[in-house]
Amino acid sequence: MAQTWISREWLQRNLNTIIPISGLIALVIALRAANPYFLTSWDSVITLVYGMSWFLIAACGLTLVILMGSFDFSVPSVLKLSAMIFAVLYPFIGFASIPVSIAVGLIFGFINGMLLARFNIPSFMATLATSMMAEGLAQVISGGYTRMITDPAFRALSTTMIFGLPSIFYWTIITWIIFIFITFATPFGRMIYAVGGNIVGTRLAGINVKMVRTLVFMICSMLASIAGILYASQIQGAHMQVGVLDMIPLFASVVVGGTALTGGVGGVHRTLLGVLIIRWLDSGLSMLAIDLNVRMIIFGAIAIVMTILTIDRRRIRIMK
Amino acid sequence: MKGGLGQLKIGSVVVTSAWRLIKANPAVWAIFALIVIFSAIVPEKFLSVSNFVAILKNFAVTSMLAVGPTFVILLGSIDVSYMGVWMFGGALVWLLYPYLGLASIAIYPIFGLLVGLFNGVVHVKARVPSFILTLAVTAVFAFLTTYVRNVSGVLTLTVPAYNFLRESPIPYLPSPFLLALPVIVIALFIMFFTKFGTYFCAIGSNEEGAKLAGVNVEKYKTLAFTLSGLITGLGSIAIFVHLGCQTRVDFDPSELVRGLAAIVLGGTPLAGGMGGPHRTLLGALVYVLIFNGLFLLPGVDPNHLKLYVGTLLLGAVIAASRALRGALIA
Amino acid sequence: MSAANPIMEVKNVSKTFDRVVTALDNVSIEVRGNEIVSVVGENGAGKSTLMKILVGVYQPDSGEMYYLGRRVPFPKDPLDALRRGISIVYQERGVIPHLKVYQFLFLGLEEKFTKLGRLQLGKIIGLAKSVFEELGLECDLTSSIYELPPSTQKMVEIARAILSIKLMMVGDGGSEITPIIILDEPTAPLSLEERDELFNYLLNLKKSNSFIFVSHIIPEVMKFSDRIYVLRDGRVVAHHDLSSEKVTEDQLFREIVGRESYYDLWAKYVYGVGEVRERRAILSVRNLAKKGYFENVSFDLHEGECIGLFGPAGCGKSEIAKALYGEISADNGKIIVDGKEAKLKGEPYVRIKMGIGYFSGETGKELFLFWPIKKNLSIVNFEKVTKKPLKIASVISFKAESSLAEKIMKKLRIRAPSVEAECYSLSGGNKQKVSVGKWLEKNPKILVLEDPTIGIDVGAREEIYEVLLEMKRNGTAMILVSDDPKEYTILCDKIISVRNGIVQAVYTNEEFRRLMGL
Repeated sequence: MAQTWISREWLQRNLNTIIPISGLIALVIALRAANPYFLTSWDSVITLVYGMSWFLIAACGLTLVILMGSFDFSVPSVLKLSAMIFAVLYPFIGFASIPVSIAVGLIFGFINGMLLARFNIPSFMATLATSMMAEGLAQVISGGYTRMITDPAFRALSTTMIFGLPSIFYWTIITWIIFIFITFATPFGRMIYAVGGNIVGTRLAGINVKMVRTLVFMICSMLASIAGILYASQIQGAHMQVGVLDMIPLFASVVVGGTALTGGVGGVHRTLLGVLIIRWLDSGLSMLAIDLNVRMIIFGAIAIVMTILTIDRRRIRIMK
Repeated sequence: MKGGLGQLKIGSVVVTSAWRLIKANPAVWAIFALIVIFSAIVPEKFLSVSNFVAILKNFAVTSMLAVGPTFVILLGSIDVSYMGVWMFGGALVWLLYPYLGLASIAIYPIFGLLVGLFNGVVHVKARVPSFILTLAVTAVFAFLTTYVRNVSGVLTLTVPAYNFLRESPIPYLPSPFLLALPVIVIALFIMFFTKFGTYFCAIGSNEEGAKLAGVNVEKYKTLAFTLSGLITGLGSIAIFVHLGCQTRVDFDPSELVRGLAAIVLGGTPLAGGMGGPHRTLLGALVYVLIFNGLFLLPGVDPNHLKLYVGTLLLGAVIAASRALRGALIA
Repeated sequence: MSAANPIMEVKNVSKTFDRVVTALDNVSIEVRGNEIVSVVGENGAGKSTLMKILVGVYQPDSGEMYYLGRRVPFPKDPLDALRRGISIVYQERGVIPHLKVYQFLFLGLEEKFTKLGRLQLGKIIGLAKSVFEELGLECDLTSSIYELPPSTQKMVEIARAILSIKLMMVGDGGSEITPIIILDEPTAPLSLEERDELFNYLLNLKKSNSFIFVSHIIPEVMKFSDRIYVLRDGRVVAHHDLSSEKVTEDQLFREIVGRESYYDLWAKYVYGVGEVRERRAILSVRNLAKKGYFENVSFDLHEGECIGLFGPAGCGKSEIAKALYGEISADNGKIIVDGKEAKLKGEPYVRIKMGIGYFSGETGKELFLFWPIKKNLSIVNFEKVTKKPLKIASVISFKAESSLAEKIMKKLRIRAPSVEAECYSLSGGNKQKVSVGKWLEKNPKILVLEDPTIGIDVGAREEIYEVLLEMKRNGTAMILVSDDPKEYTILCDKIISVRNGIVQAVYTNEEFRRLMGL
């Protein structure tokens, strides 16, 4: 039996799973070797949780879009804009600024979705344009200044300790589980995979492709908004550098998790692995005092290699 | 008599081809309209010699970013590696100047060629979607440039020895523009007087059909990426000179959008198959006129540049999206 | 060169795929000078495999090739075939819409017109002009291909094929040989008038070229061929020389589809069509029109009735079907489903809600090939496999999904290891069954069928007919579009004949059978 399940074919079929898991194990061993204190103290665990919670929420949204075979560049910009709106409006309307912020995110998602579904503009192009607009808006409403909020209630949203872990951890895990459930066990989730797998067939099977696409882009932007709000709460404010360097790590963590850029393969559940790998790698590299720019180069290279490895070439005839 | 007829014929050919040009390129109308509008609103600022020179300079920069990638867009693919070529190419020139002297400027085209070749080979052989691939390439080289700056502890990567290039021998025609001209000529020559232009269009229009017609699709796709890199490398010299013999050291997405916007505004559809560098030149002029005029208007804050650039790109892609109707795309 | 001597000849060509499927079995054909020789047969009879061998896309397992009486190896690739004077015009994928006519004409042949890397445009356009004059083709060389009418596009493609042979053969006495042009279903995208135009063009070109005409449209083949080869199941079953013998359309038709088993199958069902009793009209189409495709289409479809839309390929029948299903939208007219008027600009999801289902034999189009069977079957049946535990969101019950899939698999006898098997691993017939199976439990009021049994074997056909007839008995109304007249006689109560997008006549099953000589 052993021969049958560790065959070459089995390896090829499950490459998407094997690479991230073995990568994670190798990474933990390497980090442990480089830093004997890695993951030994509870404080370091909490630091890691802070480092990847908001990031995972945003990555979940991006995963949904990539599952449809599309792409969303506006995630970091919407994240920044939402953080900024939350921080700027908080002194005036308090927590009522959260729905405002999420609404703005949803509007951006709606625009992205409509540009793709209604106007047939390639999603990377459309979201590149809207990301510029979100950046511009963030600049306009903040005037380019850092907004600090010292109100403890603002901070409590993310940092209240429950069972030894900050509340942002629970927000993130709940979001993650909800979206695993949605993608696996609801018709809507099935439709997302369907659009990524065979869009013509999806349309012929009587699924409203335009609606699915628009909704997924709205969900993605909403999650980016939530991530931004939680992040703003975590760092007590917002500034123009939020999200600036997040696009590459976000994309890298989605593909490292094993979600193929061409759509239809992978899932939100995998993105946790990708986020763990990328964030641990990030903290490990910064521990070794490796320059931020070099880290970005490494993530970019990882993203490309994983893209090459995960693309399902059986189903693509012409690659543009 | 015969000569007269010939002249008449040439005249009518010029008129008809001019008419065809305008009909095929709505960008020409946009250029006229923009000139008229801004001349009407801010005549003393817009219609000045210094503004004319500024427009030419900006046109040189924008077109040099956009002309190369146009060849790739003809295929229906996309190439945004131009930022990486431009930024890190400059860093390489700076790094190698102490060893190579003035010859180090030749690094630019060589580096562009190599990056383009790499993009082409990886895209064709490993079948990575071109947009993601070239964006990652740009990101890698942009961060590398910043890293070089940080490590060497200088503020800018300037090579003052090339300052002589900034002097233009012809009054009113700035040297970046003059440096861009030969590159434009090369691009137009490739498009219209070699088989490559036809092949790129054929691949973008119907890849399978091109293959059936005996075109080596993989080879010419790689070639398009390589050409794109080479032309961007050559064009980057003009940008290098424009910026005062230095390169950009921090990545700015609005510069990235600039090239794409010029291509889309010019009327080369993202789906490929039609258009070309000639349209991109018009698109670059539209882009430059819009921003040149916009910042002359009272109350326009250059800090909000990104907002305007994003809106413009969005408007441009929506306007150009008619060519994509009907297909279900990613 | 006398016309009777063959220019090109292949003998005993055999080809199998994957060592199992025999595509060609000892096929011999010859092409003589200045003739149009037709190769006819059903889908899957081996026509296109044979053509691909002639142009070097495939290599045969065995066989011999003779050129002007000399034995030669089979061409290695299309370029090699060009050097032997053989070129092909593909059915539809060959056109490159955005190129200018002269660019397309010389695509891939630029080498000979390049000087120091510079393309000699003047020379190219001059040559193109003279070629067009020679061939009697009139069109603007600088217009883009997509601006030309479809028939002219085809003619330009043929001109390109001839030109490429001539250019490749310059040097080996190219002017003396007769180019052989293979036309693969050239009339598929054309209207009837455009077809006549194309055929006149071909008859004109026959003076200096030979054509292999691959088709399954019998009247055309009869009208324009000098000789006809009939291919069936990879064998040449008949060869007619129309100059010396008389062949009727009927005879040819029997030879093409004359598979005994299929004939039996047909005989078994053909008399089983029930009387159409007066039942409720479930679909009323009134003056439906889409510019350039069809106009003024009106009919009523009753419960449990099947109406066939019959006509040559490109007559607008499949567009009518697609407009009913919402894949494309009509411009004018009314579609009334069960008393409710449907919006003309409808998407398939709207029509499905109204009770219209769609099934096409093109499995690659509808199936999610990398999904397990059960997911493919549940995609239209979400309401059957979901629960609403909290009354707000529906949740897929995996158990219900599996049992639904098992039920359908059993009923359709889909041969697969389990409901978890991925669809790409199934055979063609089983794929088709999965495709049709998803509608089985959905029970749509109307099912639109497009080529439901294309490219599958007799056994699978029978099973699919069984399923469809049972659905029909249970009251599902159907619209059928197919290329196979027999299929109409098996499934339809009424046949609407469509030509050039206009309804010509309505036949009952019996009248249609008589008309087709079945």
